[in-house]
Amino acid sequence: MTVWLDVGGKKVRVSLPGSREGVVAAEVDGRALTADVRMLRPGVMSLVVEGRQYRCVLDGDGVVIDGRRFGFEVEDPRSLQGRRGAGAGTDGPRAVKAPMPGRVVRILVKAGDEVGQGQGLVVIEAMKMQNELKSPKAGRVAKVAVAVDDTVGSGDVLVVVE
Amino acid sequence: MLIANRGEIALRVIRACREMGLATVAVYSDADRGALHVPHADEAYRLGPAPAAESYLRGDLILEIARRSGTDAIHPGYGFLSENADFAEACAVAGVTFIGPPASAMRVLGSKTKARQAADAAGMPRVPGSVTGLADAEEAVRVAAGIGYPVMLKAAAGGGGKGMRAVFGAAELPAAFAAASSEAERSFGSGEVYLEKLIERPRHIEIQLMADEHGGCVYLGERECSVQRRHQKVIEEAPSAVVGEELRRRMGAAAARLALSAGYVNAGTVEFLVDAAENFYFLEMNTRLQVEHPVTELVTGLDLVHMQLRVAMGEPLAIAQEDIVLRGHAIECRIYAEDPENNFFPSPGLITRLVQPGGPGIREDCAVYEGWRVPLDYDPMLSKLVAFAPTREMAIDRMLRALDEYVIGGIKTNIGLFRRILMDEDFRSARIDTGYLERLLAEGTALPQKAVLEDVVALAAALFSASTKSEAVVAEVAVESRWAVAGRREGLRL
Repeated sequence: MTVWLDVGGKKVRVSLPGSREGVVAAEVDGRALTADVRMLRPGVMSLVVEGRQYRCVLDGDGVVIDGRRFGFEVEDPRSLQGRRGAGAGTDGPRAVKAPMPGRVVRILVKAGDEVGQGQGLVVIEAMKMQNELKSPKAGRVAKVAVAVDDTVGSGDVLVVVE
Repeated sequence: MLIANRGEIALRVIRACREMGLATVAVYSDADRGALHVPHADEAYRLGPAPAAESYLRGDLILEIARRSGTDAIHPGYGFLSENADFAEACAVAGVTFIGPPASAMRVLGSKTKARQAADAAGMPRVPGSVTGLADAEEAVRVAAGIGYPVMLKAAAGGGGKGMRAVFGAAELPAAFAAASSEAERSFGSGEVYLEKLIERPRHIEIQLMADEHGGCVYLGERECSVQRRHQKVIEEAPSAVVGEELRRRMGAAAARLALSAGYVNAGTVEFLVDAAENFYFLEMNTRLQVEHPVTELVTGLDLVHMQLRVAMGEPLAIAQEDIVLRGHAIECRIYAEDPENNFFPSPGLITRLVQPGGPGIREDCAVYEGWRVPLDYDPMLSKLVAFAPTREMAIDRMLRALDEYVIGGIKTNIGLFRRILMDEDFRSARIDTGYLERLLAEGTALPQKAVLEDVVALAAALFSASTKSEAVVAEVAVESRWAVAGRREGLRL
């Protein structure tokens, strides 16, 4: 089978043979890569490539190797449509929500502002810690749904970027 | 024994009780029915809703459960009711032994102002300074001359650095006094300023004490807790790299003198600031078992909780001061559910993966497991990872090895921060003080990382994706709705 991946922003295509335990002759973007694969328990795998051993641990949408976490996304063409439908793409308006209950201490943008991806929008305080919430995409601020000193609950919409 | 606490400390106390053949009673809030301290206990009782004020801080409910379960004694752990003198007193009234000092000693030593008076009476060194506000610059110059430069001007009404000025000589003092006073006036509505000797780059070093009911009191060496962030300890170690036999004896004797002067019993810790010239200054006393007690246990070979319980049973201390010998070096990392990339914001949530370290010299006091959802109602400490080795250098390398083995998935943790500290040259040479970590974080340099071939990462990701159809990830998606998963991803991306 072939798996299309986005690993840290880079698209790769990995071809895997039918058997995925033991010595696996795979191809990564057409380059041959032979690895001895052993699944130790769900989510924990040992790979041996040319004598070098990698302990790989699956952590949600990332894999942890040597203490480093590499985020990845499966770009399975069959499921692509479904995910677009769920509104997870970069098109369309995106709501920035409070990750946990807290209080709004600062609002850094107003409706109509053009913002870049990663630009700070709102600062909320919870457990005596201030947390700056950033724009998930470049776009225009469609709505600021809160005011300074508002108490917000987890999941409350703070700002909508379109 | 009823353990009036949760998390790793409740589990740690339960384990000690079981080792001593004592039956254990756990209590839990609604958020903690699945917490690990509950299934380790012989009996378990619900306290109340998740907020601590409605559960772990409800001394009345805890005493009611103690009565119902026929409990003889209550161990408060740390935090919650552990330093609450009224609760200790209520236990005594109810005929239940409180594992800790008597309420009277707690009242004297637990309050900062009263503890300072007790420290003065016991001849403990404090940071020298004027106790009251200074009338004018002339008085400031006079007082400073008596203390010796450098000095720090501080606003009497203040905090947060406002109205503070460091002064290194008499020539600068009048101008600094005027500036500090007017800043204090503007910030706090009072221009009152006092003066203290400036302790440059102080280290936080504390003495562990254990006292019995028969006037016996020993000190179990020191711990250095200079690696702090916002006054919260991050790494603790024993012994301190800068404390020799002689200084240890002087600090230990001073701490024991203070405890005995107040009729102190059981485990306690006296905290000091120590300057570069090995002068030590009393800071405060913690009248309970400390989070960082394991490092002391490892270098002394003693079990502090066993000792606490034996003292509470009325036994005299089984060890004399001259028999307490420190061996090797221990380092503790407080592993938190927090995001170092995002201002250390708490990161509670579901632990989807947990691979814990082991091997020689590694102790982990932990109360989380794969599948446990870290509640947001309490302190987000996940685990205390402790490395013990013959030398400090070996203990650091051992800790780095253990951190490499450790994977906590699903939530953000500060494990990466520890790698960075433990590889830092200043930390490795013990050039640390209470401002060390803030300076390191301000540097913002990236951590040197081992290279991993991109193709190997891609292969691992592909293999996991190919196998998820029959495994855990699918199960997770099945129980949570697609919206919950999408929502969590979105949350993570923020």
